[in-house]
Amino acid sequence: MIEAAYAAEDASHGTHDGGLPNPMHQFEIKRLVPFELFGFDASFTNSALYMVIAAALITLFTVFAMRRRALVPTRLQSVAELSYEFVANMVRQNVGTDGMKYFPFIFTLFMFVLALNMLGMLPYSFTVTSHIIVTFALAAFIFIAVTLIGFWKHGVGFLKFFVPSGVPVVMLPLLVVIELISYLTRPISLSVRLFANMMAGHTMLKVFGAFVVALGFLGGWAALAFMVAFTGLEILVAFLQAYVFAILTCIYLNDALHMHH
Amino acid sequence: MGQALRLGMELVAGVAVGGFIGWALDRFLGTAPILMVVFFGLGATAGILNVMRTAKRMQADAQSGKDLPHVPDDDDD
Repeated sequence: MIEAAYAAEDASHGTHDGGLPNPMHQFEIKRLVPFELFGFDASFTNSALYMVIAAALITLFTVFAMRRRALVPTRLQSVAELSYEFVANMVRQNVGTDGMKYFPFIFTLFMFVLALNMLGMLPYSFTVTSHIIVTFALAAFIFIAVTLIGFWKHGVGFLKFFVPSGVPVVMLPLLVVIELISYLTRPISLSVRLFANMMAGHTMLKVFGAFVVALGFLGGWAALAFMVAFTGLEILVAFLQAYVFAILTCIYLNDALHMHH
Repeated sequence: MGQALRLGMELVAGVAVGGFIGWALDRFLGTAPILMVVFFGLGATAGILNVMRTAKRMQADAQSGKDLPHVPDDDDD
């Protein structure tokens, strides 16, 4: 059955009905090493490849940059120290010093999302974070982990997080349900924000890239100028969305550890 | 774009989660469509609550200058 799906997909790949190139083509998942596990399609895709590249790059960067551990840092070591300081300050400010226990996770998360976003800015590359399933998996993992940390720290008392203070008892059942729904929206808004920003930006880049070609030598310059500026903005968005993803994780972690809104 | 998108999303996420919970409960209990309508409303309320909380946090961050990423100052000047 999966073979049939493969074949149908391969057949649809080649079709192109002329005109401007399809701006969504860049988000296509391609199987590099087809692989099936218990009837599930667990192929090694271009998405997986870019995740491996990102993880390898970060590992190489941190290990290689800190190899000499000089007192007067080289440029590369300085970048590594700066990224450490950046995330460490974020954790200290938003979670507190007792949150530094979770620093390795936040640092890994930030660097991973940042590397994926930045790799997506390279021409001909693939933006992993433009797929909602990837960002949602990250967000769901964070959500479940943070909830477990809350219950582990406060026991059943963590449920008090859903009970707003200073409210008449009659209103409580209603408000607790609302608080619960509000809590459950966290993984959705966390994942959709990253995914929507990355996908919208990259689609826009492709559309304006097509305009440059379509408008030709005479009119293409305006679109090209816009693209140059927009590429700069996209690099900012790539960084900012990684930052927002990490800082929201910090805020959620703070809620679980210290239980206040 | 970022901030406005964030607020809009908080609202939509509330409605979506509320509606989904209602729909799932309806399917489970066979009470369609009562619970979905109820939870849709609750979800919208939760969404508005989220928007208000996010806006409050944004305002507090903007006033304390925390809305921009904090970069440690290495300059010796």
